[in-house]
Amino acid sequence: MNDSVSTQATDGQVAQQRRSRKWQLVQLLLQGDRPYALYFAFAILLVVFSLASPWFLSIDNFLNIGRQTALVSIIAIGMTFVIIARQIDLSVGSTLALSGMSAALAMAHIGDNWIIGAIAGIGTGALVGAINGFIITRLSIPSFLVTLGSLSAARGLALLVTTTKPVIITNDSFVAIFGEGDILGVPVPIIWTVLAVIAGILLLHYSVFGRQIYAAGGNPTAALYSGINIRRVTTLAFVLTGMLAGLAALVLSARSHAARPDVVQGLELDVIASVTLGGCSLFGGRGFVLGTLLGSLIIGTLNNGLVLLGVSSSLQLVIKGAIIVAAVAFTKK
Amino acid sequence: MSEPVAVAAASSPQVPLIRVAGVTKRFGGVQALRGVNLEVLPGEVHALLGENGAGKSTLIKILSGVHAYDEGSIEIAGKRVAFDSPAKSRDAGIAVVYQDLSLVESLSVGANLMLGREPRTRLGFVKKRELMTMVSDFLKAHGIPLDARTPVGSLPFAYRQMTEICKALMGDVRILILDEPTSALTGGEEQILFDAIRTVTDRGVGVIYVTHRLNEVFRISQRVTVFRDGMNVGLFPTAETDMKQLVAAIIGPGHAALHARERTAVGSASDLLAAECEMASVTVAPILTLSKVGNDRLHDVDLTVRKGEIHGLAGLIGSGRTEILQTIFGLRPVETGAIVIDDQSLARITPAKAIKLGVALVPEDRHLQGLVLDHSIERNLTLPRLPHFSRWGWLRSQAAVQQAQSAMKKLAVKAPDSSTYVKFLSGGNQQKVVFAKWDRPRPKLLLLDEPTVGVDVGAREEIYGVVQDAARDGTGVLIVSSDLDELLRLCDRVSIVVDGCIVNTIDRANLGNAEELHHLIQLSRSSNESPKGTSFGAHAT
Repeated sequence: MNDSVSTQATDGQVAQQRRSRKWQLVQLLLQGDRPYALYFAFAILLVVFSLASPWFLSIDNFLNIGRQTALVSIIAIGMTFVIIARQIDLSVGSTLALSGMSAALAMAHIGDNWIIGAIAGIGTGALVGAINGFIITRLSIPSFLVTLGSLSAARGLALLVTTTKPVIITNDSFVAIFGEGDILGVPVPIIWTVLAVIAGILLLHYSVFGRQIYAAGGNPTAALYSGINIRRVTTLAFVLTGMLAGLAALVLSARSHAARPDVVQGLELDVIASVTLGGCSLFGGRGFVLGTLLGSLIIGTLNNGLVLLGVSSSLQLVIKGAIIVAAVAFTKK
Repeated sequence: MSEPVAVAAASSPQVPLIRVAGVTKRFGGVQALRGVNLEVLPGEVHALLGENGAGKSTLIKILSGVHAYDEGSIEIAGKRVAFDSPAKSRDAGIAVVYQDLSLVESLSVGANLMLGREPRTRLGFVKKRELMTMVSDFLKAHGIPLDARTPVGSLPFAYRQMTEICKALMGDVRILILDEPTSALTGGEEQILFDAIRTVTDRGVGVIYVTHRLNEVFRISQRVTVFRDGMNVGLFPTAETDMKQLVAAIIGPGHAALHARERTAVGSASDLLAAECEMASVTVAPILTLSKVGNDRLHDVDLTVRKGEIHGLAGLIGSGRTEILQTIFGLRPVETGAIVIDDQSLARITPAKAIKLGVALVPEDRHLQGLVLDHSIERNLTLPRLPHFSRWGWLRSQAAVQQAQSAMKKLAVKAPDSSTYVKFLSGGNQQKVVFAKWDRPRPKLLLLDEPTVGVDVGAREEIYGVVQDAARDGTGVLIVSSDLDELLRLCDRVSIVVDGCIVNTIDRANLGNAEELHHLIQLSRSSNESPKGTSFGAHAT
């Protein structure tokens, strides 16, 4: 504010600086860049459900929530990158279905090995992401439209390959590694979620790629003027999301011992809700990985708590929708 | 320090159109206004000066009904008013033209001017022909060179600004507030704006004119009010004051920049320095050579910038000055000719490659092109040099923060620390951040596009210092500016750009004052309109 020289740096100025720092802290809180309100909301949710239901507060139930939210959490990590880059990916649910089919078919026809399944599943996801990214950046078509198209096309392909029949998975190590095993009592879906979160944090907050994503979404023109290849960065964000949808497909198909082409319809909405609830701005440039995880956990906890309280599933949907909108409105500004 | 002059002292028989007395405003912990006074008479142009953060914008926002004030009073034509919404302010006859434009780009000039008050048929349909006639008549009456049918999106920036001013002038306006209206205008356009202002003041409208360009104050205003730190520090009749007195009032006592300005003003020291540089640079190799470069906006551009040289590009808005910089930086394709940067000829330049070769660009619009406002200073600073702050794709955050802090210190960016969000900084400090992006490693070629637009006097001097330091260390500087005094002060040579082509390059020693340079630009323009390149384009190295 006060543009004067350092010789005039009086006590008044120091006090002013301190004031402005405090002011910024307030601003941060209100803006939801670090949505403390979100942590607070999560804590309240935990307390309320603990008091309301005798079964809520137990390790088993928490592991249950973790397992149930694993799919959404894993994909939401990738979606965080996409949304920070000022894009959207509506195709994640269909990508998951296609990747699951691909993994199961690869193990059935190419080789009965979990590594082949993993490569096929994650590779299919990456391919769908790459196609999305390529069309969006090279043909300059809005991501909303492109991924709306691939939402339909990928689902159609998944249904087409086996004429809508599920593919049974018989590989025990695949089932153990991605679905039913546990490490020190922690189910593997939760382990995969944690790994995805760690990878997401490293990539978004500690790598050059992360910085470029933020800049591409925060101000694409300024990013261009700073020599950043926005097309490449944006495409990579879609590839990453596709790969994580592939990983989620492995988890889901391992848990159900089969890949089915008609699974998780409408999953993209839960994923996008988690990301925005977690403090990502749909206008790009803002958001963080832990916030996304928290967003996903809040939605998962809400689901779980409402079931334990015996709320009818129709009413659950209404309550969930209202809480999501209210929470985003509250954390926004 | 000059004593605040009591407003009442300007004993005038006329009732002031607007009287602001002892108005205070506090934002959280920041006292933005500490009791300011301002009075505008009918038909008067009242200049309002002050550094960024002095409180000018706050007062404007109060007058336009965006903010409420805490204490004091505002009277319009003798009646006390308080605005709780922009609509109330508008109804009271106050119209504001902001720095940030508020036009709908997809609509025509006419539709924009009549937005929300279109003439309608009984069924609610817009009478399009009547609307266009009304607007055309209005534009003609004010002598404004705009076509009512042109879509705003296709207009150059200067004409958009003119549209914005027209929008404010339409309707029953008693007080017109102009916030840095000329920051992007040049020569003739500026004159058109001043003529337009005179037309409205002749009708008895009072104008509050906020600017950083002091020479305009003398050209257009009758009185000047200066703010500093949210207080009045001076009220001068324009005829009785001079540049030096105003600068002293604006920046206050003990400011280093004042001495810097005096030093250059005192003697021919700067000319001597320029001559010295020139002598040295004759033998120095060029850092940048353009030969017969052409694309959709440029044709046959020949240009050299030597190491350590400050080379200016003068010309009117839309003449292709910005496009020359963008082409060198790889933002526009090179269709014909060749660009050689630091002895390397590139088939295809991209911004990333240009940066790697040591080219830096400080773009024209810092909000749109230079900064991510929502991000911290450190994030913005490291953006163009990310490879420099990383190893195998992983960020070395320590190195990034350290560089950010040292660059902030070097350029005297006023902010609590490097994690401060850029949007909370004043215009001058934001511009310093854009400069600091290129602080280290030292660029070999620095491209500057209107580097001091919307920057206050103090920060402007500091930016000049940075540019001169860079040149002294061997960086070639290519600078586009509409402020001719700025070009004359900094440059060793100046090239004049007309219609996408450099028509003349002149050594500083052969240039007199701003008026002479202005004359040259006009002359080059008119001669270029006749058969191209007859007498000009002569000694362009």
